[in-house]
Amino acid sequence: MTALLIPAALLLGLVFVVPMLRYVWLSGHADSVLTGLVAIPNQGANWVRLLNDARFWQDAAQTLRFAVVSVGLEILLALAIALLLDQRWRGRGAVRALTLIPWALPTTVMALGWRWIFNTPYGPLEQVSGLLGGPALNILSNPSISWLATVFGDVWKTTPFAALILLAGLQTIPSDLYEALKLEGASAATCFKRITLPLLQPYIALALLFRLAQAFGVFDLIQVMTGGGPAGSTESLALYAYLNAMRFLDFGYSATVMMGSFLLLISLCIICWICLQSLQRRLGRA
Amino acid sequence: MTLQRRLWIVLLLTWSLGPLLWQLYTSFSINEALVTPFADLPQRWTFAHYQAVLTGDPPFWRYLFNSLIVGAGSTVLTLIIAIPAAYALTRSQARISQVARVVLIGAALFPYVLLFLALLEVARSLNLGNHLLALTIPYAALSQPLAILLLSSAFRDLPIDLEEAATLEGLDLWQKLRWVLIPLIAPATTSTAILVFLFAWNEYPIALTWISDSNLLTLPVAMARIAGSSIYSVPYGAYAAATVLGSIPLILLVLMFQKSIVSGLTSGAVKG
Repeated sequence: MTALLIPAALLLGLVFVVPMLRYVWLSGHADSVLTGLVAIPNQGANWVRLLNDARFWQDAAQTLRFAVVSVGLEILLALAIALLLDQRWRGRGAVRALTLIPWALPTTVMALGWRWIFNTPYGPLEQVSGLLGGPALNILSNPSISWLATVFGDVWKTTPFAALILLAGLQTIPSDLYEALKLEGASAATCFKRITLPLLQPYIALALLFRLAQAFGVFDLIQVMTGGGPAGSTESLALYAYLNAMRFLDFGYSATVMMGSFLLLISLCIICWICLQSLQRRLGRA
Repeated sequence: MTLQRRLWIVLLLTWSLGPLLWQLYTSFSINEALVTPFADLPQRWTFAHYQAVLTGDPPFWRYLFNSLIVGAGSTVLTLIIAIPAAYALTRSQARISQVARVVLIGAALFPYVLLFLALLEVARSLNLGNHLLALTIPYAALSQPLAILLLSSAFRDLPIDLEEAATLEGLDLWQKLRWVLIPLIAPATTSTAILVFLFAWNEYPIALTWISDSNLLTLPVAMARIAGSSIYSVPYGAYAAATVLGSIPLILLVLMFQKSIVSGLTSGAVKG
């Protein structure tokens, strides 16, 4: 019987375990154009370089900012959508299908679409701003706000996924709970706070954790929409690792950046997990 | 229906579909209309962008075809490997299946883009670059966690008596799977298949690094390539036409398989 597991285990090992071992090995070696693309042990020099690499830490901060803000917005929006889709009305199934469309499209398809929508001076946002007599927005060329445009693109695409998870959670809540509380004269807001939020909490945690891990690895959207610019302000860790390998041809350091990103993500997940646990205890007591 | 609810629904649909409708509008507009949208133009509509995209070299349908091959191949390979594994997992000891679940969830959470460099080295050393079907190997591997979790929860839901009856009838393991169990988990298999297909169709970083031959590009990579390297010279009209053409198959797929997609995405959340 266990023989049936072997092909899947081999495949997972080949694609997950072998690469990670390879990165551990590569991150201890200099392997770039300078070494003639031959791996030479360099006694942890890659890791020292990583710790002192301002660009790595800036990208780490940017990636974290991107992930936290876009996942936070996503969960709020998803909660609103799930509450709307949880009610009974005609055409609900069709609307649910239509809201899924952004999630199903390839990221690169709309990434360029966003570039056009945020384009200066011809994009619709600029045109409307101009028509209203507003200033030029220059969203994608202003390093302090262009990351918000990438957040927007990410929220648009991934909210349906979170909304579906939360909707599934809402549908597990028995309706007599609400009726019982309403009999006591509780308002809709009280019902939401006393029943919906506590019972939905595991689903929120699930969507949060899953989306946070994915947002932390954001690549497609950034690479196509802004290319990491302007002035590197939207560059994510995954894009930095990609550039190190494919543009600077520094494979040893690229592997180190990937390992570093992976370690940061694991610490982030652990911190999140601890926060959620303590939040859960507090909600349980309340 | 209350007015307030109707308003929220309109808002939701505008948010979800508005950007796509804007691409649709862009794809049929002449360049002058895009640059000066409020100018009084005698004729603002055109099919030229679609013509340019469809008669390009290679023509656009080629990318759709490539993505179709990769998507279908990955789906088949994933199911061939995941169905036996999912079955074995439900019939193995509780401890083993517990550990396997944790490992699979961890793998599902892993941002796989971080694997691209090592995978590229694998592709180079095994000479897998520029083969469409070679892409199905990493895609099937990356799809295993989701596929095994979904399918094993479907196997677990089947009554054990059924299997015992099949054993009493003298069916061996293969016959049991083929004639009794696999037909019964068809809904979960459909969900898995459609989710894997969507993943393979949409995957970007691995396809970007494995395929360089412009005749073999999958749709997401081809789209990114249209963008070229400069932010300022993107042919937005042609690009919007490509967006529309590239979106149509997926929109049809979502509308046709809505129920399977939703149950696939949420059954893991509800049960686990």
